[in-house]
Amino acid sequence: MNPKPGHKHPLTQIMAEVNSIFAELGFVFVEGPELEEIAYNFDLLNVPKDHPSRDMQDTFYIEDKPDNVLRTHTSPVQVRHMKDHQPPIRIIVPGKVFRNEATDATHEAQFYQLEGLMVDKDVSLGHLKGTLEFFFSRFFGGKTEVRLRPSFFPFVEPGVEVDMRLTGDDAPLKLRGRWIEIMGAGMVHPNVLRNAGIDPTVYQGFAFGMGMDRLAMMKYGVDDVRLFYTGDLRVVNQF
Amino acid sequence: MKVSYNWLNKYFDGKLPPPEAAAEAFTFHAWEIEDVEKIEGDTVLDVKVLPDKSMWGLSHRGIAKDLSVILNLPLNNDPLTKAPALETGPTINITLDSDNCRRFAAAHISGVKVGPSPEWLKTALQAIGQRSINNIVDASNYVMFDLGQPSHAFDAKQVGAEGFKVRHARVGEKLTGLDGIEYTFTNDDTIIARNDNNEILSVAGLKGGQHSGISDDTSEVIVEVANWNPITTRKTGQRLKLRTDASARYENGIVPEMVPYGLRAVVDLIIEIAGGEVKGFSEVTKGTTATKTVSVTLSKINSVLGVSLTTDAVSSIFDRFNWQYKTTGEEFEITPPFERTDLTIPEDVIEEVGRIYGYQHVTAVTPETTPLTVINKRFYYSELVRDALISQGFSEIFTSSFRAKDEIKIANALASDKGYLRSSLRENVKDALQKNAPNADLLGLRQICLFEIGTVFNSSGEHLMLSLGVQSPSGYKAKLDDPTLAAALKSLGDALQQTIEAESENGVLEINLGALIDQLPSVSNYQDREKPHDVTYHPFSTYPAIARDIAMWADANDKEDEITSILKETSGPLCARITLFDRFEKDGRTSYAFRIVFQSNDRTLTDVEINSIMDGVYKAIQEKGFEVR
Repeated sequence: MNPKPGHKHPLTQIMAEVNSIFAELGFVFVEGPELEEIAYNFDLLNVPKDHPSRDMQDTFYIEDKPDNVLRTHTSPVQVRHMKDHQPPIRIIVPGKVFRNEATDATHEAQFYQLEGLMVDKDVSLGHLKGTLEFFFSRFFGGKTEVRLRPSFFPFVEPGVEVDMRLTGDDAPLKLRGRWIEIMGAGMVHPNVLRNAGIDPTVYQGFAFGMGMDRLAMMKYGVDDVRLFYTGDLRVVNQF
Repeated sequence: MKVSYNWLNKYFDGKLPPPEAAAEAFTFHAWEIEDVEKIEGDTVLDVKVLPDKSMWGLSHRGIAKDLSVILNLPLNNDPLTKAPALETGPTINITLDSDNCRRFAAAHISGVKVGPSPEWLKTALQAIGQRSINNIVDASNYVMFDLGQPSHAFDAKQVGAEGFKVRHARVGEKLTGLDGIEYTFTNDDTIIARNDNNEILSVAGLKGGQHSGISDDTSEVIVEVANWNPITTRKTGQRLKLRTDASARYENGIVPEMVPYGLRAVVDLIIEIAGGEVKGFSEVTKGTTATKTVSVTLSKINSVLGVSLTTDAVSSIFDRFNWQYKTTGEEFEITPPFERTDLTIPEDVIEEVGRIYGYQHVTAVTPETTPLTVINKRFYYSELVRDALISQGFSEIFTSSFRAKDEIKIANALASDKGYLRSSLRENVKDALQKNAPNADLLGLRQICLFEIGTVFNSSGEHLMLSLGVQSPSGYKAKLDDPTLAAALKSLGDALQQTIEAESENGVLEINLGALIDQLPSVSNYQDREKPHDVTYHPFSTYPAIARDIAMWADANDKEDEITSILKETSGPLCARITLFDRFEKDGRTSYAFRIVFQSNDRTLTDVEINSIMDGVYKAIQEKGFEVR
């Protein structure tokens, strides 16, 4: 007799779904190290040497490895990938990241981020908006609107904050019709392109980064991010 | 930063749209306003000034200026348009012995009358959460929140006749600040001292000293306005655990050129509200901001933003900013205003055009579909592994990358039990098996079967591992659990078309999945996926569960559904799960054995109440013609 099947972790399910949606647009799933070099995590991403996010309270440093950190975002993979590939580039980077901050229902010291990067000759903020509307519509089901607000991240210029709103009839009731702040994004800073060996006078592109745990929490109605990492089947076996 | 609506409106002769409308416009064209709070007679906006705009944005003038551009509503007077005149007079000696000071100016005002501030000033400061101290200190504070330039007022007696010396502190030197706290310095800290006896007067950019502050009988005031290095200011502040409204502005790189504007404004306000006259100004400049032009073309602006603006439309945005610029064909050459050091590359200007024009005008364009050029091999095979294990009853878990003790040590751990990175998944899987074992009945499982795919860290680098574990509810049982593990390995091997061998220890084994995948053939397509099903998560009860078994004989072998529905109906709302755990046939009859698990969401259940529910269950089963065993 075959045993009753087990269950796939919700975050893996999200990862697989995200990958299959972006694959339709030709975005390649790439990865990078979790124990990252400071150069990739900060310097090459145009984060100034004295930037507050490098402080001890935000970043995990490693004893006897002064050049390493636990990556604080998946953005270092942008540079790693661009160093080896010339445009056109379309990638997504789902991966674990680490932040040295107190944990609560919405913050974990480790969580999953989804990075996106598209670089070519004429990529614009319009493509960012279009790509995200495509993704959210597929992911949450039904029609999705995306709006951009000015913001700042050292590795993009212009930088934007992205809000989304689900308007379709089949969108989860709790989310429907409401603007939700979902991620940071922008046009890749020319310094980042240059650092990665891509000529910013010829190429330009967008990048975005969002929390996959957050996507999962919204989609499944999970109210505490820590539940994903407890190894508790009372959680996992619901999926 | 807290911003008073009335204060802003002084720049517009009261013509600003209502607070909510102004706040909304600002949020979509500048940066976020986190809160709009009505107070008596005013509205306070909590403005989250972006770090790259904070060198000019941490001020009412800066926010008013940006609002005037956004709303296309001219300022009645922009205090930064005309360089202020500082009359010379008997000079105050200024000696700069530290590179951390980029500009230093001071004014001596004689014959002031220290007293309460006028009502308008008290009200303005109170609106943004500042306590009114006296007219002199309030004037200094007002100018900081108005123009962004911090300043400090000294009692001239305490400065002495020889003026100021800016120098590095000596190790162990101390100063009691205006906040009554004693600060101890190192050689990295920059301080302002008396020139005559070297006594410390204030911590550069951070805090004035208690001793040299303004008191009720002060009549001679020296106003000092300076510019300090952002990095050293931040470092000293961090070490002293001191962050002030002044230091925040230096940290964000307010330009040295603001110094004379700040000094002129403070001096004028003091004379207006506390009387006195200026005896003289002094100023020393060490660093100036190099003004560089920025060039950008119309086609670059349109191509980055994804819009179709004309040269005229872009020019009109620059005009609203009041920027100096030249247009040659479709190229603009902009000379940024002195306070806007955030405008250095074309993209900086593109952002300004984009946000003022409005990102709502950016049309969404879905990129044209291109074929997927690369399949992620690790992800592809990891999915096969998951499917193979799930088919064998294994569930996937994610656990912490941190452990209490291991090989790679974190230099700044969150907690002592998270001081190292895991070098193996084994321990975490073992812990999870034990943690889940008591819930086996609740979960309807005969064995807890888990796996994790994750990164581990050791001195040779990071590795993608797979660990799987099996445990019976009462603990690891080799006879029961090892065959389950072996079957899982077999299923894994079949899926990957490899013979997979791994040593298990107490029902847990670990495989270097990354190395295994490296040896597998490359792939050209992802597997087709089933459409994901909708799941809504339900929080689980944290109260203990109680399990009861019931077995019975039935005359036929197709009674499972019927019995299950009787059990469901009669066991009531506290029933969390019903599992058929045994079934066999003998002499034409079928034996069914069920386990019923009870749990409450709000309390611990007692045996007594469960017994009474079970009495009802037995009765119902018998009434339906089954023989309870």
